[in-house]
Amino acid sequence: MKQTTFHFHRSLVLTIFLGVFFASLVSLMPLGHAAVQVDIFGPGQGRLNLAIAEPLTAIVDNPVAVGNSADDASMVSPSAMPKAPVANALGQKLNALITENMSFLPFIRMTDSRTILGGTVLQGYKAPYIDLRRFQIAGSDLVITAGWPDGDAEKSFVELRVYEVFSGKLVFGRAYSNVEESSLVSVADRFSADFMAALTGRGEFFSSTLAFVKQGSQKTSDVWLVKPTGRKLRKITDMGGQAMSPSWSFDGRFVVFAHMDDRTHALGVWDRITNRVQRIRFQGNTVIGPCFMPDNKVAVSLSLNSNPDIYLLNHKFQRERALEANSSINVSPSFDAEGKRMAFVSSRLGGPQIFMKDLTTGEIRRISKIGGYNTEPSISPDGTLVAFTKLTPQGHRIFVYDVLTDTERQVTFGPGRDEQPAFAPDSYFLAYTSNRSGQSQIYLVTRHGGDPKRVPTGSGPASTPRWGIFPE
Amino acid sequence: MKMLTRVALATTLAFALASGFGCAKKQVVTEPAPAPAQETIVIETGISEEQAAAAKAHAQQVITDTRVYFAFDKYDLSSEAKASLHEKAAIMKRYPSIRVLIAGNCDDRGTQEYNLALGERRARAALDYMVQLGVNPSQIEIISYGKERPLNDANTEAAWAKNRRDDFIVIR
Repeated sequence: MKQTTFHFHRSLVLTIFLGVFFASLVSLMPLGHAAVQVDIFGPGQGRLNLAIAEPLTAIVDNPVAVGNSADDASMVSPSAMPKAPVANALGQKLNALITENMSFLPFIRMTDSRTILGGTVLQGYKAPYIDLRRFQIAGSDLVITAGWPDGDAEKSFVELRVYEVFSGKLVFGRAYSNVEESSLVSVADRFSADFMAALTGRGEFFSSTLAFVKQGSQKTSDVWLVKPTGRKLRKITDMGGQAMSPSWSFDGRFVVFAHMDDRTHALGVWDRITNRVQRIRFQGNTVIGPCFMPDNKVAVSLSLNSNPDIYLLNHKFQRERALEANSSINVSPSFDAEGKRMAFVSSRLGGPQIFMKDLTTGEIRRISKIGGYNTEPSISPDGTLVAFTKLTPQGHRIFVYDVLTDTERQVTFGPGRDEQPAFAPDSYFLAYTSNRSGQSQIYLVTRHGGDPKRVPTGSGPASTPRWGIFPE
Repeated sequence: MKMLTRVALATTLAFALASGFGCAKKQVVTEPAPAPAQETIVIETGISEEQAAAAKAHAQQVITDTRVYFAFDKYDLSSEAKASLHEKAAIMKRYPSIRVLIAGNCDDRGTQEYNLALGERRARAALDYMVQLGVNPSQIEIISYGKERPLNDANTEAAWAKNRRDDFIVIR
């Protein structure tokens, strides 16, 4: 008993000691990088509240008003605090672009600046001149500050910072020099990519460019490019006929697509460096759904004998060998980032279903098991999920198949037709086509589903989004 | 009567041509008679050319006017489709110079890429059947338009049924 008591006492002492030790450790340790994180791949995503302070051109160094902790700040009312001069030229525009970018992140909720007591014009753009208490009261988790110490006219210098409101820790800071009106979008996108990467580990969304198809008059459609935020919209083909199924090369240099005129099918190849388009025809006059592999070779369905099968083309876009061929339809190949797995559509069991082929062993397994019409697979680059289009009684809907658990889950719910899903390089975002507005347009959801967000693509029906990244 | 006229024409022309050549150049006199006789065949063809053109126009109409229809997600040929292909095949065998583009089409309920594949199989089903019936494969090209060129945009079973088809387009 005594021994037990002794042990009890000893463990109690140890517990208290460890408790004190860890408590002091936590208070000493700047909370931050590890504290505010978003697991975009796990279930049950939370949301972070983000505030953006007004961009400033200077810091007002008034020691009386300085307060970076809740206690210090409580000595002075926020409205009585001095305010630094606001950057009203490029500063406002950059803040607007960043705010717009943040609206594409489903795990970010913007704090309405009108709810921030004392406003968002601070005394400075870096610690200790940031009154975090007003953001705490407004419920913000993070705050972005922008400083333009030399003013915010053309060719200026800007410092962007992200602070954790609760701990006051700097999450990260970036500076950009020679900022001009024309480079604001790039600055906003680079900062936003770093922001998303700091929180989630993945920031490719903001450095990606979608290739998609926009319909012109009756029988014509061309390939266009746009950032997933709707910026940098431009047309890259103008060849009459109908362009379909674009696909980016992994190195970001080429976009291939299927092209059809009144009499022929062909493979279209756009070269980003030369801005030229080639049209390559194949035996059998059938070219369907080309898709780049990670080694920059193309897989495409051709019909050489009796039905469309999937062939591999070499680097000169010449037929090399069959990737999947039998007596049924084989179309719509999609590859993971390692090029080891190919998802595709086959009619080998009757109606169209999704299959996965291990390109190392040649093993094939069916992965869509429910419903009679499953098409358009897109493997997530990390190889864990396959998004596809299922024909349900309500129409086409996007589903996501989980490779590990062998289960599928619906991620879009109409109205109208949801189709042509494409996983982003981060394996988190999904772009797809929906006619929910009465006209085909491109929307974003995530691997978990959520509220669809439209990608602005200008006037005219837009479809078939495909992700790519190239150095800008 | 017609035969007589032809013979008369041939003879007259052969004679006229032979004598004509004879007058112009001496060495041509030794040319055998059959050569000028071939010229009469040219004349004979000239006579029936209008009829041939009319017949060919009619043939083209038979080829293009009737379409072949399919069930949803299917590419097998119905007995009606086969009967129609028999007619087309007969005409194409009679006029070996006719070339036809068979375009396979789908209704818009399916998705784009799979429908392009299905359209290809629909066009190929007609091609294969006509080749079995003796049509020279070089007379036929195929293309799939998938669901991209519907005849009727309505969302009704009647419209979909009209869109699941092979079109036959005379390209020469």
